[in-house]
Amino acid sequence: MKVPIETKVNNKTYKLEVEARFTLLDILREELKIKSVHRGCEHGECGACTVLLSGKPVCSCLVLAPQVDGAEITTVEGLLKDKELHPLMMAFIENHAIQCGYCTPGVIMMAYYLLNNRPEFTDEELRKGIAGNLCRCTGYVHIIRAIKAAKEYKDSGNWW
Amino acid sequence: MTNLLLGLRAIPQIEYHRPTKLREALRLLSKYKESYKIVAGGTDLMPAARRSTASLPRHTHVIDIGSIKELNYITMDDSIVRIGAATKISEIEISPVIRKHIPILADAASQLGSIQIRNLGTIGGNLCNASPAADTAPPLLVLDAKVNLKGINGQRLVPLTEFFTGPGGTILVPGEILTEVQIPITEPTAGSCFIKLGRRNAFTLSIVCVATLVKVKDGVFDDVRIALGAVAPTPIRATKAEEYLTGEGVSEPAIDEGAKVAASEVAPIDDVRASAEYRRDMSYVLTKGAISASVQQAGGKCSN
Amino acid sequence: MKERERRLVSGNGFYVDDIELPNMAHCIFAGSPYAHARIKSIDASRALEVSGVLAVITGREVVELMDPLPATSNYGAIGWHWRIPKAYPLAVDKVRYQGEPVAAIIAEHPYIALDAAELIDIEFEQLPPISDVNQAMRPESPLVYEEWGDNIQVHLEFNFGDVDEAFKEADRVIRVSWHEGRVSGFPIESRGCIASYDRITGMLNMWSSTQAPFLGRQYISSALRLPTTKVRIVAADVGGAFGNKVNWWKDTVVGLGSIVTERPVKWVESKKEFFLTGAHNRDVTWDGEVAVRNDGSILGVKAKFLKDLGVEGTNRGSAAMGIIPACCSVANAYHLKGIRIEAYGVVTNKSPYCAYRGYGKDKGIKFMERIIQVVAHELELEPEQIRFRNFIQPDEFPYKQLSGYVYDSGDYPAVLGKVLELGEVSSWRQKQEQARKQGKYIGVGMAFSVEPAGVAAPHCIFGGLTQARVRITSDGLVEVENDQTEIGQGSNTTRAKVVANILGAKLDDIEVKRDSSDMPGSGVYSSRGAIYPTGALIRAATELKARVIKFASHFMNEEPAHIDINDSVIHSTKEPTKRMSLKELADCVYFHPGPRGLPQEMQAKHEVLLDVCASWFSPNTAQNPTSTYTTYCSGADVAVVEVDVETGAVSILKYAHVHDAGTLLDKDIVEGQIFGGIVQGIGEALSEELVYTRSGELLNTSYTDYVIPTAQDSPDIVIGHVETPSPFTELGQKGMGEAPIIGSKAAMINAIEDALSPFKIRITESPATRERVRKWISESQRRLIP
Repeated sequence: MKVPIETKVNNKTYKLEVEARFTLLDILREELKIKSVHRGCEHGECGACTVLLSGKPVCSCLVLAPQVDGAEITTVEGLLKDKELHPLMMAFIENHAIQCGYCTPGVIMMAYYLLNNRPEFTDEELRKGIAGNLCRCTGYVHIIRAIKAAKEYKDSGNWW
Repeated sequence: MTNLLLGLRAIPQIEYHRPTKLREALRLLSKYKESYKIVAGGTDLMPAARRSTASLPRHTHVIDIGSIKELNYITMDDSIVRIGAATKISEIEISPVIRKHIPILADAASQLGSIQIRNLGTIGGNLCNASPAADTAPPLLVLDAKVNLKGINGQRLVPLTEFFTGPGGTILVPGEILTEVQIPITEPTAGSCFIKLGRRNAFTLSIVCVATLVKVKDGVFDDVRIALGAVAPTPIRATKAEEYLTGEGVSEPAIDEGAKVAASEVAPIDDVRASAEYRRDMSYVLTKGAISASVQQAGGKCSN
Repeated sequence: MKERERRLVSGNGFYVDDIELPNMAHCIFAGSPYAHARIKSIDASRALEVSGVLAVITGREVVELMDPLPATSNYGAIGWHWRIPKAYPLAVDKVRYQGEPVAAIIAEHPYIALDAAELIDIEFEQLPPISDVNQAMRPESPLVYEEWGDNIQVHLEFNFGDVDEAFKEADRVIRVSWHEGRVSGFPIESRGCIASYDRITGMLNMWSSTQAPFLGRQYISSALRLPTTKVRIVAADVGGAFGNKVNWWKDTVVGLGSIVTERPVKWVESKKEFFLTGAHNRDVTWDGEVAVRNDGSILGVKAKFLKDLGVEGTNRGSAAMGIIPACCSVANAYHLKGIRIEAYGVVTNKSPYCAYRGYGKDKGIKFMERIIQVVAHELELEPEQIRFRNFIQPDEFPYKQLSGYVYDSGDYPAVLGKVLELGEVSSWRQKQEQARKQGKYIGVGMAFSVEPAGVAAPHCIFGGLTQARVRITSDGLVEVENDQTEIGQGSNTTRAKVVANILGAKLDDIEVKRDSSDMPGSGVYSSRGAIYPTGALIRAATELKARVIKFASHFMNEEPAHIDINDSVIHSTKEPTKRMSLKELADCVYFHPGPRGLPQEMQAKHEVLLDVCASWFSPNTAQNPTSTYTTYCSGADVAVVEVDVETGAVSILKYAHVHDAGTLLDKDIVEGQIFGGIVQGIGEALSEELVYTRSGELLNTSYTDYVIPTAQDSPDIVIGHVETPSPFTELGQKGMGEAPIIGSKAAMINAIEDALSPFKIRITESPATRERVRKWISESQRRLIP
């Protein structure tokens, strides 16, 4: 069954005819070629497919494509200014928080949300905040450092 | 002939409907009585559908209630908090009304899944999926919540204690949808507590979860409510333990004994997550802890 | 610099699932629901009728069109009890584990393939499953391979030193047993590949999430009866591997699928499939005795070692081999007089065993670190005292261990001393005492690991192959190629740095080429990246520099001894104005004037290119054939935990680690590896275990039930370094990456046991899940009540 939807992804509006059985993850990757959103488990258990849906982090593998009609979606591609990397991304690079990179886009979207909406986190709260993003490579140490470094960028006005 | 094991089942061909009004939804439920599934956040339906055909058969009519504004609200009037079924767990977690008046529901919400899951999952979904381990159920049970079930021909308000029938089972009949959860607010003098134990610190299914609500008068248990999740075919109230404690003097031995009674009321299973024995043991430990914490909150003193 | 990271963070990854080829089809695998059964019939006709399905491949086609999977080791040939069963990538007449692939379905879209898979009609005759390794060893047990007559794939006895003498001298003999549950890595990206066969040229091109593209080429070409010259494998971006992506078998079917359909075919493995058919590891039991003197000297160890290999045959012996380092690493960092181990690798109806970070050496080390904890307790000494007493001393290196491994360098007392300090052990022990008075249970645990790295094992594919190529391009940039496949461990960065430092070139001018089967080399595992591939790279870059200087000496008219290169500028050390950029030199050498402009003696020797290939072999292994590994880094861990005795939950109050990986090539990358390995080890200690039922059904096939640490389960980690350069590598660097996952598990278990010492609990199995910890406490409370 094909369902017509209109959705805004990374600030660009799309009119699509989506298969009802496809997930948001499917259409982001296959229709819109937004490859940063990764297939990890497709059960909502790992967070590798995390995107912002109307500003809130969700697992895109759990959302049926027709459900995003009228919604706004942001992925890491949407955080770039032209080709310039977002300060949050720079913080990840500078703090060695990217090893294999597979969990990275999902973590970045969650960190972006936390820094914009719950910026006064303690270390424990930050760890709880990203608990839905599993990482097997880093042990989370560099990731936590990177998010805290990004907070400093934000506080100093280096942010968008 | 046997079916082969697949790592992942594709979401099958479905008929998707997205009513914007409740009456539209009810009409659809009535029309497709034999073959519909309601979806809101998808946090239960989607993983289940990927695991087995039975959870989402081909050509099911999937009724998405996520955009029905009439089902998405948290309001309070006359000391009753009303939550629309399609209200997200993340909204419940931060709602000032809920945090003030029924804090253990906010506590349970804050520990459900991950942020990503809480932004999709709804309270109606959590209850209707009827997992024995549903995190919102024990708080709602001790809060004496009622659920409003509505079909095209009428509605009924049912105490939550009567809602669950077994693992994955509720009293909803085909054509009926849970529209609202009603919760009388917790008296400010009452103490309440929600404790969840999983296999790791975050983003984990409950091995046992316990909610308690306690009122203490002159050093005596005046009203005690205990609910447990993941230790029986449905979330349960530990009525024998409640009876035992009501009227007892508040003391550590009494709480200990009450917790033991609660642990005798559970009927847990062995599974890959935990053994029945551990669940029973933890029912005792968590109940003891939750009642003690509730007592402290209620301002009651514990005498030995 | 950090070009890969910049790509990955902004959504420009090149993971297998990101790659799209024109006209590409999709492959999915369907497996057996039963752990042990004969296949009576398969009928795929209904599946083939589904619109969009291109092919269904089963065992029948595979036997006809493919050769059996090639063996990766051949110890049977030298007389060992070592069996490698014949194996195909799809079940042929029998299935031997739940999930064993029975059919591959190729269709226009993965969902179509998945839909069609449900229409395959298959009849099984169930056989009694063997899911318990002890049961599998009994003579009356059902057989996984009937032709064997029993279920023992490997039976080896290791005799090092003089264990009987050791036991004669002992003051005490103490029993120690230790079991590790079945575990594996399960990186967030599962396995996958794309195969694209061109009928006209006969070339099979593949892109794969792999640690070893060259070894993959060997497998694929052998299995598919293609000459190696017609198979090329490119490593995609790899979303984590940890050893789980070093084997090749389903990939052969994807290749076959492309040949049969004449379309490019992509396979992306689902997570459940990865759990069911993935590379399982650990699942070992040690039953042993240690001979000690009252002063804490450890004299000898005798043990029986049992490893549950599942259907390891699919991985062709490459995982059974882990038994060897497991037994050889028991001596760890210590002087012992003798070790005897009787080791069994037993097959059962479980998923194929394969490599996971640690591979084999981890097991012997953890056993020894548990032994030390037990001995300390029995002799009423502190565990660090036992270690200090038995350590190989800094002046003894190179040290030939009982196993024949020659440890290159180290300063174990310094490493342990530093971690005791960083971990604030004395202060935590005081807090522990205070806490006990308040009914709280804090524990301090530690572990020491000497990690053998950089394997060159005989008679197997992990034999120490490597090659590197470095060239200056025609516009003065540098291209680097070797077999140090980038899998997230940062090898792109370290390779660029190593070459930039040696050549004197700008870091940003170094291009590390995407890894592929073009370079003969064994790939990345066994912590070998910094040893073998880097060794080859250093040799190639060093020779290239000499050649650059030789050419520059001609064009600059300066003596080679007075030429140096910095920042991509070649300059005279005598006359600073005499200089040319690498770009200018390259232009001279390549085109203007080109080879015609070179001195005649160079033309006569055909030395006209700025392009060098080199290999490398371990001087350690060359001089000491019993030292299968090249370098031996060391690590020490201190874990401080608090156990909630009511629930069994363990919280980590402090975690410290000190590491000696010789000369560090990149400290941040090394620390990243350490942090990641530690958290994996913590997961193994507290919650990770694959659980099979008696009928061979795997109960946890998802991240919900195979519980790995989240950020909220992982501690802050304090880290320190000691650097004792290896005499066996050019820069003194040692391979690293596996020690952290080893020591952390042992330290955590030791800490939990220490916390629970008032309950007199001896831990003999892992993981120490909350339920198990609680059970140990309850049982001991029952025992302790008079």
